[in-house]
Amino acid sequence: MREGQTRRPGEALFVGFLALASLGLLVKAYGIAGLEALSSPGALPMAAAAVMLLSAILILRQTMRAPAIRTETIREHILPPAVVVAMVAITAYAFLLEPLGFLITSFLFLAVLIRVLSGRSLFFCIGSAAACVLLIYVVFRIVFSVLMPEGIVPEREILARLGRLFSGAR
Amino acid sequence: MQAVSAFLIPFLDIQLLGLVAAGTFAGIYIGAIPGLSVTMAVSILISFTFAWPVYPALALMIGIFMGGVYGGSRTAILLNIPGAPAAIATGLDGYPMAKKGEAGEAIGITTVMSFFGGCIGIIVLAVAAPMVSEFALKFQPRDYMLLAILGILLVGSLSSESLIKGIFAGAFGILIGTVGLDPLTIADRLTFGFSELRGGISFVAVMIGMFGISEALVQLHDVNKAAVRQQISRIVPSWSTITKYLPLSLRCSGIGVIIGALPGTGGDIAALMAYDHAKRTTRNPEVPFGEGAREGLVAPETANNAAVGGAFIPMMTLGIPGDAVTAIMIGALFIHGLNPGPMLMIDKPDMFWFIVGALTLANVFMLVFGLTGIRFFVKVVETPRSVLIPVIILLSIVGAYAVKSSLVDVYWMLGFGVLGYFMKLYGFQLGPVILGVILSRLLDDNWRRAIISDQESLPKLLKGIVTSPLSLVLFSAVLFILLAPLWRMVKARRAG
Repeated sequence: MREGQTRRPGEALFVGFLALASLGLLVKAYGIAGLEALSSPGALPMAAAAVMLLSAILILRQTMRAPAIRTETIREHILPPAVVVAMVAITAYAFLLEPLGFLITSFLFLAVLIRVLSGRSLFFCIGSAAACVLLIYVVFRIVFSVLMPEGIVPEREILARLGRLFSGAR
Repeated sequence: MQAVSAFLIPFLDIQLLGLVAAGTFAGIYIGAIPGLSVTMAVSILISFTFAWPVYPALALMIGIFMGGVYGGSRTAILLNIPGAPAAIATGLDGYPMAKKGEAGEAIGITTVMSFFGGCIGIIVLAVAAPMVSEFALKFQPRDYMLLAILGILLVGSLSSESLIKGIFAGAFGILIGTVGLDPLTIADRLTFGFSELRGGISFVAVMIGMFGISEALVQLHDVNKAAVRQQISRIVPSWSTITKYLPLSLRCSGIGVIIGALPGTGGDIAALMAYDHAKRTTRNPEVPFGEGAREGLVAPETANNAAVGGAFIPMMTLGIPGDAVTAIMIGALFIHGLNPGPMLMIDKPDMFWFIVGALTLANVFMLVFGLTGIRFFVKVVETPRSVLIPVIILLSIVGAYAVKSSLVDVYWMLGFGVLGYFMKLYGFQLGPVILGVILSRLLDDNWRRAIISDQESLPKLLKGIVTSPLSLVLFSAVLFILLAPLWRMVKARRAG
């Protein structure tokens, strides 16, 4: 994923963030029980946060000393458009899952993402999204009995009707 | 007798037999498709199988594990894209063979030798684990503490380009594992006042985020990469070919089992070490290494499959995972109310023998599926990534939600997924994070037991360590891992 002793775009910023977060966590871990006893509930969180902080500082030092890779840019090599779109789509999915339900949200998610990533025809994207959602639904809802939010689709009623239809047919 | 009947359960129960078969079949494809990994699949699978009884859940996961370790080799041979890190060495000679039109032979040798390696690994597991677990009963809390630290450090040092990044990742995992109510004092630990955090952060959400989402996001960098298809010739290798390479495969199986059994190391390291061993010990190969040497296929493939059985030894006997997948399996056993370690081997030996039986069955299925269906396989692995990756992301989200029907877990998974993505991009390995999460409880409990039994005195604890041979060995190993890079750095500076 990366070359030896070199610095990728945004790396120093990321490691700096890790060091700051480690410091914050160390302060928070100290707040659990202070330095009351070696067996206190805060001992391990404090030790872990201290190790994180110390190693993050050392990594930051190494990173700052390493020469930057001039041929790489954030837009192309760290956060290319496909990754940004995927992150936005995942966040949108998480927010829409309960109000719209699993079937609609998953279909929209797959159709949009496949369209953006592949650039293929709308027909292909809608077809593959529908097929994948159907397959996932059958496998996980029916085989694994995983309950997903229904949202605006009355799944249980539909399944019950289908069940009645098949039992009636017999 | 009880051991034999537990061993035979997956063979005689038609549902379990089907699950092992389905798992192995799926594992071969999961391991082979670049962008999908066994770790990712098993971590997503936990969330769907947590409501199942333990045997079916384990049967499916074991099948996926065994099939997945082997499956990575196929794409390494056919497309020069290792499906898994354990298959990197396989591609070095496998792909040159495929380019010469010998892809079928390469796949055949790989399959048979993987089966052989798998058998050796399972035999060693069956023989060694009961002995190790008996020995493990003598372990003091400080030994468990040292073993947990050793496991995390080993993963950090061997799987990452930088030990310090591995240490950071391991400590981060331990910290995540401590979030929630302290089981001893009921004190809030790192909950930031949120009641949702009192139960801790779901490790399934962490695992799916780190191994599912982050990997999928990284794969998006090469979303339009096309693969070059190879011609497939005869697959089943001749008997003389098999017997010719048996001595090498036996030696490499030994390497695989030992490396696999070391806490924190897995098939990828075993495969590279075995490849190196083959290169050093093979005099006058028919074809030079790197240009299609059969020895270059035999060595890594026997070693990485032998490492599977090896990885189960510390998991079953000490509760310390042998690699990332067994770390997730420990999580699965926790979910099912089981606590891996020497007491599990004594209280529930049938669980151990069931696992040995399921591994054996999965190994047989791997041989059968490995030698058949190659043409169908080529079509499946050519599924465009632009379709595959969104489906993986969707499965990850569904998996995180399914555990507790909670959106909070989905948000955690997203957060860890994005964090894992940047960590990967900047050279941090994610294995130590998961190992840290899984071992956090073990480390916390045993540290506190050890220090309380030594009256809260650090000098007394240290004295206990240096006066016990076992503790001293473990402590020396920890020190060696920490000090070796420093020593190398000093030597390099002196050399100018």
